[in-house]
Amino acid sequence: MAVLQMQRISLCALKKDRKAILETLQRRGVVEISDVALEENDNFFQKSDTVQAKQGFDRNVTLANQALDVLDTYAPVKTSMLSMFEGRTPVTVQQFQDRVQKREHALAQASKLTSLSKKLAEAKAEIVKRRTQLDALEPWMQLDVSLRFTGTKKTAAFIGSFPEMLSSEEIYSRIAQHAPDADISVDCISTSTEQVCVFIVTHICNAQAVENALRASGFVRPASPPKEPPAQRKQVLEQYISQAQAEITSIEKEIVSMADAREELRFLIDDMAMRSEKYEMIGHLAQSRRAFILSGYIPKRYSAALEEELSRNFDVAISFSDPSEEDDAPVLLKNSPFAEPVEGVLASYSLPGKGEIDPTSIMCIFYYVFFGMMLSDFAYGAIIFLGTLFVLTKFKNMEQGLRSSMKMFCFCGFSTMFWGILFGSYFGNVVDQVAQTFFGVTLPAGGHVINPVWFEPLNNPMKMLTFCLFLGLIHLFTGQAINGYLCLKQKRFKDFLANSVFIYMLVGGAILFGLSTEMVCSILGVMQNGAPLLSASVGSIFGWVALIGAVGIICTAGSAKNPLAAAGLGAYALYNNVTGYLSDLLSYSRLLALGLATGVIGTVINQMGAMGGPNVIGAVLFIVVFLFGHLANLGINALGAYVHTNRLQYVEFFGKFYEGGGRPFEPFAAHTKYYKFKED
Amino acid sequence: MSTLGMALAILGAALAACLAGAGSAVGVGLAGQAAAGVVTEDPNKFSKVLVLQLLPGTQGIYGLLVAFICLSNIGIIGGAPAEMSLVKGAMYLAACLPMAIAGYVSACYQGRASVASIGLVAKKPDQFGKSMIFPAMVETYAILALLVSILAIMGVGNASF
Repeated sequence: MAVLQMQRISLCALKKDRKAILETLQRRGVVEISDVALEENDNFFQKSDTVQAKQGFDRNVTLANQALDVLDTYAPVKTSMLSMFEGRTPVTVQQFQDRVQKREHALAQASKLTSLSKKLAEAKAEIVKRRTQLDALEPWMQLDVSLRFTGTKKTAAFIGSFPEMLSSEEIYSRIAQHAPDADISVDCISTSTEQVCVFIVTHICNAQAVENALRASGFVRPASPPKEPPAQRKQVLEQYISQAQAEITSIEKEIVSMADAREELRFLIDDMAMRSEKYEMIGHLAQSRRAFILSGYIPKRYSAALEEELSRNFDVAISFSDPSEEDDAPVLLKNSPFAEPVEGVLASYSLPGKGEIDPTSIMCIFYYVFFGMMLSDFAYGAIIFLGTLFVLTKFKNMEQGLRSSMKMFCFCGFSTMFWGILFGSYFGNVVDQVAQTFFGVTLPAGGHVINPVWFEPLNNPMKMLTFCLFLGLIHLFTGQAINGYLCLKQKRFKDFLANSVFIYMLVGGAILFGLSTEMVCSILGVMQNGAPLLSASVGSIFGWVALIGAVGIICTAGSAKNPLAAAGLGAYALYNNVTGYLSDLLSYSRLLALGLATGVIGTVINQMGAMGGPNVIGAVLFIVVFLFGHLANLGINALGAYVHTNRLQYVEFFGKFYEGGGRPFEPFAAHTKYYKFKED
Repeated sequence: MSTLGMALAILGAALAACLAGAGSAVGVGLAGQAAAGVVTEDPNKFSKVLVLQLLPGTQGIYGLLVAFICLSNIGIIGGAPAEMSLVKGAMYLAACLPMAIAGYVSACYQGRASVASIGLVAKKPDQFGKSMIFPAMVETYAILALLVSILAIMGVGNASF
């Protein structure tokens, strides 16, 4: 349970050390730099505008990323499925510095790669263009003169097409309709359903008449006819295409030959990203001619070490102070290895706001338990547990966020195994099914090869429901207790009474009173020797306790000057609490529903698989159905368990005490993509 | 003894599977259209929007669950169909109805909530945790209906009519 204590840090140093100091801070990554507030017309300190410099670096990052994309397209590196777990490569500061010395060269490489990829795109466009031209030329291949040929001294030639399927007779008759006196000769070059390409010759004196006739009958000249005859033109076009293809091959070769630049580009991207961030920070500093002032937040646990390191190497004045009430101090959490993985769940709701505690270490227990109950199958749990454990041990260098999620699912998987054993679920009922179908074992009705350690929820759903609601009650009361603790801490004693003491009395009393009635006990299945769990006299005591709680809430929950108005508000609060607790408690029935869903669907899958009977084909069918069915069931139920575990925390648990609204701690650090610094 | 009783019980199981499944199909389909739109803009959001798309799919599974429990209770699956009175068959039918009706309606509306949440993730990917909660709220009612249906089927199975 820990929100790390933050301190304000103010640092004043000489401008000549600015670069070195900022780089130190960036490598340590423990300070969040905030804007130094300057008074207006401050003649001494000023801020420098670093937007342009930052944009320059960002442009370089974009360029290098494009170049990397080009490399990845034409010279891909083989990566395995598991490479996503590998994380950034650790390098020493010295190594990094050595590599980024050559940044001019890397930039040149990046520009070259992007320009190569542009050329490549052009060459590809050229091929498409020439192919289209080839297609357009195809119907004319039989023509042995140029498409531009218009005739000789004594003859006029018309080359073109009719946009429909016509026979030469039809063409003759069409022209004859409009130019009955002209002698013509029509050669069909090619015919298709869409067009017929023709070569028409006539005497020069008939040229005008024939042309008019042609125009009237739908004749079209080819668009942009080439100079050469079609066959020759085809050769030229093919040559263009093969040239472009050769160019593509040579460019691709050149790109592949530059594959070694990948590493250089990655260093460039990281370097530029870090400089971009650094320049952004410089914009926050107050600077005079020879000195600068930096201000920000640092977790207290790091401040001494940082002060020591900075004052050893530079002339600096550092001061730390606790943030004041108005300061919007950022939030950083620190938890035990068991609770830490669930921090992400909390963060995706909201970080603790001012005066709130970090509920992670309490929440994590419920989180693991609920997830396990909803999935509740030993084999599924084992798959998740072993899978994440494998990844965790194999990839030591994994990034923090991913590592946390893996750890969380590792714990969740373990919990799932535990509940699976308690409820006797192993891939649904696979053990029974296989034993019965393939080994001829006969089980008595309701019997199992492996009996559940506790009980089977499907056979006794009321018992399971009671247990789920009981867990829910513990969860809700824990949330209520945190609320009470916060009230006490902030000395709001009236709220403590209204929000904790009376609610415990009301809800706890009502439930215990219920347990003394026959109706509730028989519904929940907790009758003892035919009588309610608690005797009537004990029950009536708890009934009175609940009543006192209800009256207490009416008296204390409302805060208004007019006592009647206060009582009205209190009554409203009582109504809210009663209905709220009822619906919140019932919400925990999802533990039962989702748990049953996993087991029953697993059983259905096994039954479907076993339909082939006890033979070889049946066994093959079983294995196929088993693999795909259980994979799908595991996927969808793990998703359901995850979503609904989150929901129980966010809505039911946090609803009792948590508001959030904290701002995450965003330190000035090396936010790199490919390399990270290791301590020398 | 009435064969009509058995028919009614099977009708109940069929309704639970059909209606809840149809609702899920509507919901997942709606969400899928929205998800595909987001992925055309940013393929990196695929895994997030896929999760949101799947959320309305659970009702279909609950429907299957109820149908299965009902069918195995009346002996259609894994046993010989027992004789059943008309009243008992009608009771099975009634027991299946919560899952059928609440499953259908909640899946449709959960689909709409998922569409809205997919829009949320498209604009603010860091709010993924919250975006999952809105569709999950709708599912609560499907879970409650599932619970009632299961308990009722179990109860009818033990009753003697």
